Amino acid sequence: MADFGSESSEKKEEFFSEAQEIVDGLGKFLLDLEGAVAASRVDPDVINEMFRAVHTLKGIAGLFGATRMSGMSHELENMLDDVRMGRLDLTSNVIDLLFKAVDLYTHILLFERGEAPDPQQEIAKLLASFAAVTQPEEAPTSNIFTQFDLDPGMFGVLTEYEEHRLKSNIESGLALFRLRVRFNLTVLDTALEDLKKKAKPLGEIITYLPAPSTDESDFENLELDILMASKSDAATIDTTLSVEGLVVNPVKRRSGGGPPPKAAAAPVSKSPLPKIGAPPSLPPPTIAGPARLPQDLAPESHAAHGAKSVRPAAPAHAARTSVAPQAQGQAGQFVGKSAAQTTVRVDIRKLDRLMTILGELAIVRSAVGRLAERLRGSVEHRELGTDLHRLHRTFERQLGQMQNGILEVRMVQLGPVFDKLQRGLRAISREYSRPVNLVITGQETEIDKLIVEELSDPLMHMVRNAFDHGIEIVEDRLKVGKPEVGTIALNAFQKGNHVVIEVEDDGRGMDPKLIIASAIRKGVITEDESREMSARDAYRLVFMPGFSTKTVVTDLSGRGVGLDVVKTNIAKLGGIVDVTSEVGIGTKMTITLPVTLAIINVLIVEIGGRSFAIPLASVEEAFVYDPSLTRNVEGREVLSLRGQSLPICHLSSLFQVDAFDDASDSTRKFYVVTVAVGIRRLGLLVDRLEGQQDIVIKPLGRSLKSVHGFAGAAELGDQRVALVLDVAAIVEEVLAGDQSRFLAMAGEGRA
Amino acid sequence: MRRVLIVEDSNAVRTFVRGALEDEDFQRAVGGFDVLEAASGFEAMALMPRGPFACIVTDINMGDINGLEIVNFVRKSEHHRETPVVIISTQSSSRDIERGLSLGANAYLPKPFSAVALQDVVRQLVAPGEG
Amino acid sequence: MADIVRSPGRDLRRANDGGKRIEYLAFTLGSQIYAVPIQHIAEILKPPPITEIPRAPRNVVGIISVRGKLVTVVDLRRRFGLVESPFDRRTRILLTDTGDDEPIGLLVDEVRQVYRLAEHEIEPAAALGGDQPAYIFGIGRQDDALLVLLELKALIES
Repeated sequence: MADFGSESSEKKEEFFSEAQEIVDGLGKFLLDLEGAVAASRVDPDVINEMFRAVHTLKGIAGLFGATRMSGMSHELENMLDDVRMGRLDLTSNVIDLLFKAVDLYTHILLFERGEAPDPQQEIAKLLASFAAVTQPEEAPTSNIFTQFDLDPGMFGVLTEYEEHRLKSNIESGLALFRLRVRFNLTVLDTALEDLKKKAKPLGEIITYLPAPSTDESDFENLELDILMASKSDAATIDTTLSVEGLVVNPVKRRSGGGPPPKAAAAPVSKSPLPKIGAPPSLPPPTIAGPARLPQDLAPESHAAHGAKSVRPAAPAHAARTSVAPQAQGQAGQFVGKSAAQTTVRVDIRKLDRLMTILGELAIVRSAVGRLAERLRGSVEHRELGTDLHRLHRTFERQLGQMQNGILEVRMVQLGPVFDKLQRGLRAISREYSRPVNLVITGQETEIDKLIVEELSDPLMHMVRNAFDHGIEIVEDRLKVGKPEVGTIALNAFQKGNHVVIEVEDDGRGMDPKLIIASAIRKGVITEDESREMSARDAYRLVFMPGFSTKTVVTDLSGRGVGLDVVKTNIAKLGGIVDVTSEVGIGTKMTITLPVTLAIINVLIVEIGGRSFAIPLASVEEAFVYDPSLTRNVEGREVLSLRGQSLPICHLSSLFQVDAFDDASDSTRKFYVVTVAVGIRRLGLLVDRLEGQQDIVIKPLGRSLKSVHGFAGAAELGDQRVALVLDVAAIVEEVLAGDQSRFLAMAGEGRA
Repeated sequence: MRRVLIVEDSNAVRTFVRGALEDEDFQRAVGGFDVLEAASGFEAMALMPRGPFACIVTDINMGDINGLEIVNFVRKSEHHRETPVVIISTQSSSRDIERGLSLGANAYLPKPFSAVALQDVVRQLVAPGEG
Repeated sequence: MADIVRSPGRDLRRANDGGKRIEYLAFTLGSQIYAVPIQHIAEILKPPPITEIPRAPRNVVGIISVRGKLVTVVDLRRRFGLVESPFDRRTRILLTDTGDDEPIGLLVDEVRQVYRLAEHEIEPAAALGGDQPAYIFGIGRQDDALLVLLELKALIES
């Protein structure tokens, strides 16, 4: 089995998924090939693609220590090489062997995953069959190229295969052309595909060579020399390809034999490269101690590796004698169970659609539940009701499992985002010669894929901010007795239904007085407003539009944004940013995000006869409201709860809906739902608690984007739609309004 | 910031090479660099203006623009001619490797190779004074 | 679409008059008849329960769910500054489909019929006198009826 050693499971997955993709592709090519052979119209490109696919497979199998796979690929590659070079005919026997090989690959992949027995015997049998079909005679090398006046600079860079294609085209009597074309780099892909498509009916493009004469100060264009074999003439090629600026030059045919072209290397040399280092005729590679180079340090490699001799003296097959027609046998039975089934790439919109269906199913579930209750309540159908009730419970449980299953699929680890940050910070650190260490914990924490995609820019900005404004220059650090190398810590962990990400530095910290002074100077706040400000209020000022001292262009995003944009973007994800700091010690910014955006468990409450949903992730507790425990602090109702003050928000007045929200009516009960976001808590006063429910949250339309305080809405069943509170926004809005107007502005300003 | 360019059409090999080159100890030893990836010869050509590179690591057998052409381009280029080039390829294309070296590649590594082998080669090429 | 009264015979006859004809769906608000190009109306709904949105713009009645999608409902009476009227059995919601904009529900008193108008049967909005808002693009006259023709995009976006 493959020994991945310390390789991460991600790399391993990368290996499996690419290997499986290649094997699947091979299967497809083979089917095409079989049809083409039957019609005797084989496209050399298809064979070359297969060769390259196996070549790649061998390469990655070797890197990942999958020795069975690299061993078989090695022999298969040789066979395909013989086919593409015209040394071996594509007989039905050869095609059979190729099919067997593809089947066996699937088996091998399963084995590498530990899901199938070792296929070594089958491999040995198949390899023996390979050896039996390989034709022993080496194709004679004729110097057919001397017929043409080929530019040695162009000829010298052909791969062996390209050289072979050139040869067979010349042998078929086609003329050669050299095309010069200039493409804009931004449209290179499409322009090239277009060119290939148009060129195909005319003949074969042998190679594309970036013209060495390309003007290198021209970053927008790429000039290419194209070598093409065609039965048409230059004028036809020119008009058919119809590319602007195209120059078509026929490669002149020499009269008579003429001297061979002065290629940089002997073009037809077939000698295998000596094991290590350079052949005597070549300039030695300019690397010290070439003997250390290739194989010595290579991992334990497959049997055939290193023992390669001039083919086709059959490679070392242990079981050469047993050329078995049943070679496919066992491998065949694994065909249906492809290893690809264990990794699929899914468009996240498909998951969203499943989630919506699940939401509808949940509605059916509640309807069935109600029906069961009704039946149980009736005398004559009680038994039926009990049965239905039991069924309903099973349905409910399995629906829950399905929901968790779909959610799990959406989850990805934060690791790759953190890696990106690490690279980014390393670059900045070097650029400014200010050494800093990024210490990462919790990279395995999982979060909704959609959230991850939106996280890397804001996080990069925060890391960059910690570096720019936190970490001191070396002299300053040494002066206060800090280690020379600064530290920025990135910690992630799950906390209930939230993921918390902290960006912490051991830098100079933030001085609330300086922040306030700076904010007044920039006109972000007035002096009056500044008087009542706590340290926490001051820290929050750094997220105000217009506060950022400099807008930073991050290397990753290429856009300049202030911290206010960071805050807005995090808020869009349903998250919130908090700051704590200590002068001389450091600063910590904390992002709190929901784990997923798709489905949430909510508490349904009633306010003024209307139902609203509060995400349970933000709910700490709910209790009966006791007006006698409240007092008024600077215009704000505050409830004393277990020795702590809890600000109270009357949702009915915040939302301007009529309610029985008359505290003087002592006969009516109201409820307080305590919500918490980050470390801020708020008591929401509601008329009634209706219960909990899982909902699929849907965004409000663009026409309602100016409406604050709602994260979206959800169907509750029986055609009812309830608004889902954006708790973070409400906490922000209400508490911000508390102390000074400017923070209310921040509340207004959020999306 | 110095940069290394990987030209390789296999995702897995690119990931492997990137992993080897971004290894922290290795980066510390060679003074650190960024890794740029090209999944084809054309992508590599598009990235060329972002050089100079401390080193280019390239596969040979790629469609369209092959690795030999990359080597050739680099050696003839005004801006890149001094850049060390490492060929990574399988032994079966020995004729191509040979040609790559004669075109001016500095070293080749037969696939499969270990991360350490690659690091050794690159270290010697990018910082001749060390190691 | 059961509410739409079509008169195919008459429409066919008109279609032969020459010139391009566009179909308009007519509806009433109070005593006035309005019409919108029918290709921009995806569906006509009997009003389901509507969820009010606190602090929403005044013209917005609320949101409804149409087969799992949330749709914002705009009261055209409020939009045009008319007195609001309670829902009755003829009240309908027209679900718009203008392509790029999000679908919007337009609350109307009653859906009437489909008219096919040729260009020469449409007068400019100025015929109503004074400055007319951008969402009124013309006046159609048919069978003694005066149709105020509405431009949905302008209506929704403003």
